[in-house]
Amino acid sequence: MRLKVNGRQVEAKEGTLLLDLVEVPTLCHHHHTETKGLCRLCLVEVNGRLLPACATQAQEGMEVRTDTEDLKALRRTLLEWLALSTDLSQAPALLELLEAHQGQPQRWGSLPVTRREREPIRDNPFFLRDYAKCVNCRRCVDACGDGIMGVYALTLEDRGLLAHPTTPLDRPLPGTPCVFCGNCVQVCPTGALRPLSMEV
Amino acid sequence: MRTTCPYCGVGCQVEPTVREGRIVQVLAPDIPPNHGALCVKGRFGLDFPFSEKRLLYPMVREDRHQPFRRVSWEEALDYTAHKLLAVLKRRGPEAMAVFPSAKTTNEEVYLAQKLARALLGTNHVDHCSRLCHSSSTAALSRSLGGASMTNPLEDIGKTDLFLVVGSNTTETHPVIGAMIKKRVRQGAKLLVVDPRYTGMAEAATLWLRPRPGTDLFLFNAMARFILGEGLWDQSYVEERTEGFAEWQASLEPYTLEEAERITGVEREKIALAARLYATTERAGAYWAMGLTQHTKGTATVQALVNLALLTGKVGKEGAGLNPLRGQNNVQGAGDMGGLPDVFPGYLKVSDETARKRFEALWGVGLNPEPGLRMTEVFEAIPQVEAIYLIGEDPVTSEPYQDHLKAKLEALPFLVIQDILENETTPFAHVVLPAASFLEKEGTFTNTDRRVQRVRKILEPPGEAKPDWWILQELGKRLAQALGRPWALYPGPEAIWEEIRQAVPEMMGGITYRRLEGEGVRWPCPQEDHPGEAVLFRERFNTPSGKARFIPVDFTPPVETPSPEYPLVLSTGRVLYHWHGGTLSRNSQLKEAYPELKVEVNPKDAERLGIQDGEIVQVVGRRGRIRARAWVTDRTPEGVVYAPFHFAEAPANRLTLNALDPISRIPEYKVSAVRLEKLD
Repeated sequence: MRLKVNGRQVEAKEGTLLLDLVEVPTLCHHHHTETKGLCRLCLVEVNGRLLPACATQAQEGMEVRTDTEDLKALRRTLLEWLALSTDLSQAPALLELLEAHQGQPQRWGSLPVTRREREPIRDNPFFLRDYAKCVNCRRCVDACGDGIMGVYALTLEDRGLLAHPTTPLDRPLPGTPCVFCGNCVQVCPTGALRPLSMEV
Repeated sequence: MRTTCPYCGVGCQVEPTVREGRIVQVLAPDIPPNHGALCVKGRFGLDFPFSEKRLLYPMVREDRHQPFRRVSWEEALDYTAHKLLAVLKRRGPEAMAVFPSAKTTNEEVYLAQKLARALLGTNHVDHCSRLCHSSSTAALSRSLGGASMTNPLEDIGKTDLFLVVGSNTTETHPVIGAMIKKRVRQGAKLLVVDPRYTGMAEAATLWLRPRPGTDLFLFNAMARFILGEGLWDQSYVEERTEGFAEWQASLEPYTLEEAERITGVEREKIALAARLYATTERAGAYWAMGLTQHTKGTATVQALVNLALLTGKVGKEGAGLNPLRGQNNVQGAGDMGGLPDVFPGYLKVSDETARKRFEALWGVGLNPEPGLRMTEVFEAIPQVEAIYLIGEDPVTSEPYQDHLKAKLEALPFLVIQDILENETTPFAHVVLPAASFLEKEGTFTNTDRRVQRVRKILEPPGEAKPDWWILQELGKRLAQALGRPWALYPGPEAIWEEIRQAVPEMMGGITYRRLEGEGVRWPCPQEDHPGEAVLFRERFNTPSGKARFIPVDFTPPVETPSPEYPLVLSTGRVLYHWHGGTLSRNSQLKEAYPELKVEVNPKDAERLGIQDGEIVQVVGRRGRIRARAWVTDRTPEGVVYAPFHFAEAPANRLTLNALDPISRIPEYKVSAVRLEKLD
């Protein structure tokens, strides 16, 4: 099939994701965990509508734009809000992206509630859950559940700035079906989940 | 840097980050077989090479009552060679045994069996798969002419029905367990046959709970039912198999009614399972120790093989017969000839053509008599006077521990080559410190025949050396004294090149260069060959090209419960540990599962007045151990389950050394015990 990306003709096979055709940043998308469409960083304009490139399949005749001023501003804002509310000190890829987009988080002032105050949870011999660094991308929840393991020891709770991954009923991990495979740790993009062995 | 996980046969690719002499994290690359996923052992259990129990220096002593003396490599190797040669001279090749290890590389197993066969002249060569899948190897070889998984792990994504038998997959091969469960979430059916309510049973479409040791009856009854209902694959049976009529006649006694009485599984469930398996085109069977570790282990696997042949499941995508191999390189250790009856490539030592091939390659005459199997070697002490043990801990892994210890006490000369001190080290005369998987180069072959690289990430500690180096140096000394040829290799790749020459039909096309990317599956005869995924598509590896039905009859386990010992003990593993615990209990994993827990059904617990978490004694005819009771309906009434990882409470003090007549595997899965409260 043929479609237009930023005015240029592009060939694509049936079932191709727009993400595979265009160059846009992404955070939540991960093909093993099957997480998609949450972080909104990969939004593109398709025939005038905003759609996540990681969750949209290419279709005949689509007109896709990835670099409008509005999209740039939106990505910059999203990144600034992440940086403002979250400790990104162990998320080098996100910090780079923020710089590339000339993000200035401080222009929004301070937030009434942020994730930064959350205390790290140490409840098992293997890894730490440091939700001050969590951006709710949901990859960990998906890796534990349908995406890879089928264990469902992690879930997402609350909404908005309070939203965070946790265990069912907030129980310590050893009291859940967790098998400590660490696949959640592997897919975490921000260091919110990290091996205890990394701590000095 | 990428390497291959040293725990189970899945062969996960891992990328450990090492900083200041410790592993800070382990990631998995996005390539087969694990595609970025790991289990707790690969993720958090790779730090055993840093254990305080590392063997760091060669050590020697004249007899078992003296302390070990630290010596140079030179002295240790000279001494070992001298002692082995003395036994050889006095008692001949039949008094020596060499056990390569399914935890070392292909190159190292190849060298170990070459040393045994070409220099010591003995075929007493074996390794730990004797204790795990020797029954599968025997049954598959007899029927199909090949003893490995017939289908690749990628086929899990194409399978519509899984028949998982006697495999606690989510704990013993967790990455495969997760792959199967994911496919089931996508709509595939999962039939689980297991006395225990495992993670697989929990995910099952249909779970059959037979009494321990009765699977053979169940499979024969399923086959008889499938025949009766006309659900079998007649054209497949006619074109691709032989021995059908005789086998069919042997099924007469295996009615559903009898099956229900013997196995305890409702006849409707057996019929349903049979119907589903027979009528699903892409139905794959997966199994492990629950089938094999019985005195009728070979017969039980055979019954499953017969069932698969009857329904035409072998040689097709998404189906097949798939034994889940335990150790990281158990497939490779067999492929490399780490077995008493075969050279590398499963070529029989008794076959003249095969022998000529290796006589020409190695430049020596070879012994045509198949050797003793591992379990038989220990029984043959003190006729067997010298054992060279590489990476094994028989005191923990062999059955009937007290008996084995007495045998080792009577052994005149024991060489132990290993990375960590274990329960068998105290019986050694010579200790040769080996390099761990992190500290050497080579290849492992995983459960689906994928040859994969092992890469050196660290220098070995102390004076530890890679197994291949030790074998080569020892071989050099033996060869000099015996006046026999012995090739010297600059490194593992040169050994691999000899393996390619030795078994070109199997490994000829696999080069280290090709293994830089993904692993390559054997058989792979040429460098442009992609490696075979599904075996036996056209013909089987038997002389006639057809698979053989072999009749098998049910026999009860050797030790049945009695008034004095009313419970059945089944042994096995838990997620957090590995075999004798030598590796896992010297890693971070020990904190997650520190002590032996024995599973007790709530009904048995209530009758005996045992509380969850209470310390009890498990008492059998051969000994007793202390354990914490875990009251759970994971285990059926009348059965207790004990993992064998705990040296201080060894489950193998209770198991018996009754052996399968064909594979000589011990009956680990059934022994009689009672539980005693500690008052």
